[in-house]
Amino acid sequence: MPVTFTFGEMLSARSVIGSTLAELGETHENLWVLTPDIGATLVEFRDKYPDRFVDVGLAEQACVGIAAGLAYDGNIPVVSGMLPFLSMRALEQVRTDVCYPDLPVKIIGTHGGLVGNGGSTHYAVEDLSLMCSLTNMTVTSIGDPVMVGEIIRQSMHMTGPIYIRLAVGKKDKVLYEEGQHEIRIGKGIVARDGSDVTLFTHGTTVAQALEAAEQLAQDGVSVRVVDMFTLKPIDAELIERCAAETGGRFVVLEDHLSYGGLATRVADVVADRGIRLESFERLGIPQVYAGFGEDEQLRDKHGYGLSATVAALRRAVAPATRAAADEPAAV
Amino acid sequence: MTGATLDIGERHSVGELTDLAYELRRKLLELCGTYEGAVHIGGDLSVADILTVLFHHGLRVDPDDIANPARDRFVLSKGHAAVCMYIAMAMRGFFSYDEIVDTYGQLDSAYGMHPCKVQLPGVEASTGSLGHGLPLAVGMALSARHRGEKHRVVTLLGDGETGEGSVWEAVMAGRSQKLGNLVAFVDRNRQLMTSFAEERVMFEPYPDKWRAFGWNVIEVDGHDMAQLVDAIDRLPDPDSDVPTVVVCETVKGKGVDFMERNLAWHAGSLGADDLSRALAALDASRGTTAADVPPADTHEEAR
Repeated sequence: MPVTFTFGEMLSARSVIGSTLAELGETHENLWVLTPDIGATLVEFRDKYPDRFVDVGLAEQACVGIAAGLAYDGNIPVVSGMLPFLSMRALEQVRTDVCYPDLPVKIIGTHGGLVGNGGSTHYAVEDLSLMCSLTNMTVTSIGDPVMVGEIIRQSMHMTGPIYIRLAVGKKDKVLYEEGQHEIRIGKGIVARDGSDVTLFTHGTTVAQALEAAEQLAQDGVSVRVVDMFTLKPIDAELIERCAAETGGRFVVLEDHLSYGGLATRVADVVADRGIRLESFERLGIPQVYAGFGEDEQLRDKHGYGLSATVAALRRAVAPATRAAADEPAAV
Repeated sequence: MTGATLDIGERHSVGELTDLAYELRRKLLELCGTYEGAVHIGGDLSVADILTVLFHHGLRVDPDDIANPARDRFVLSKGHAAVCMYIAMAMRGFFSYDEIVDTYGQLDSAYGMHPCKVQLPGVEASTGSLGHGLPLAVGMALSARHRGEKHRVVTLLGDGETGEGSVWEAVMAGRSQKLGNLVAFVDRNRQLMTSFAEERVMFEPYPDKWRAFGWNVIEVDGHDMAQLVDAIDRLPDPDSDVPTVVVCETVKGKGVDFMERNLAWHAGSLGADDLSRALAALDASRGTTAADVPPADTHEEAR
């Protein structure tokens, strides 16, 4: 059953995952759903296709290995769980059992970033760095709950693996109107156009980026917001175009370590293509274990909340004051 | 059922299988004599009988139809015994033995230290890192069960490898999913790479561990072909709901006296002189089983 939604509405991305998989289970008889005990939103699929639903209990490594075994036999397995555990405890299975033979396993999960107030055991903040380093892996991070369904649908046609990162996924703002943007894996979305500076982001901070851009607009600064929801393969053409069209001024905002995630991906493109920038600033999690607190509190505390984003954008368009900006934290 | 048919080729007597295992060991030693790098010869020799009985008796496979959906699937979880599997499969008609010997370990060869399905079709899974094969086999067995296919999924693990936690995750999953079409062989050679197993890790009572997880346990002498054949012939119906482990009591380095239960021969290379010594030892050991090889003297001073 396709989900109906309204722009700006709050929607649970998890429920979109559940309903999308239940819908695809009908048309894809080789679609399996596996989980290490994180099955609450998969109930619809489980009830409709109990033979293709596997809850292994608390066993991430076996969960990913079993998914690979299913994929070897021509199935399309989706592993759904919490990303701090799927991306790290099962990292070797993801790399060796899934990526090495290039199997169409989809890894989808929640708790990407400083979200959910679980503390550092329960925040996936290194995951994109780890996943981007894996050969054959496609890496995505999604903020718009409706988009999650679209990406899962598109991934059905992929012959290799994909990683799909969400925040908590309980209550997410619908960011895009239906048909407003072409959504395609590997292509960034210009969520808001602008000409003075580009703000690259992904996942849960897209909404914050749009809000920051709106504040800058009141000062007459035109901010382009790019939802770079595919980190790998990265949309290098769009990065190059943004450099040319927004005065060579880049800010990268992400709910991930500020080194190793999207900022690093963008910086790699800049270096590899010899793109000349006026300014480049990264906003993300420094090398600390973040502690407890609500999502927004943690982003503010660690220097990549809304006000920090606004400040970074102002610095970007006023290069003379950039020297006053804090030096980046240790890499 | 898919309705696919599978020609499983000729059936061999226990005597013929014993001769095939001898031939497999000869070929292993020859490769170990010509290849300059290290070969995991100790662990290869401990699974030579198991792989012989699987590829010439137990597994329903057809080398001329490697993608036949009705085939049994075999996953070499102890991927470092790849050479032994390559040669066993070559002897069954999958690959050319000469090609293995001529190219092993060289640039762009399909035959490397650990098996890669992408580079070597006919191999069912890319393995090498230990503790990965059983979860893969569980997934394959689940898929077969779901499709109503009657083939088995068989995996071979080293006993040392079962120190990996992921093995026991999959042991639980296989039992929970009621996969009677899943069979694990364990090469219980009682040696890790640098130590005798019980010195470092208390595996015993080993078969009881599997029993405690609800598996059907068969215990055999892993170098006694009659026992291995009997174990395979006694496997429960693939439609049953309890997976089976065949715990094979083995000797690392089996068949070559100076390698047997010797920590120095986890991996190595034989020169021309050692090769002729090894082949002579192999001839002398024909017809012996694990029970014929004395236990390792594990006292430190003995080394």
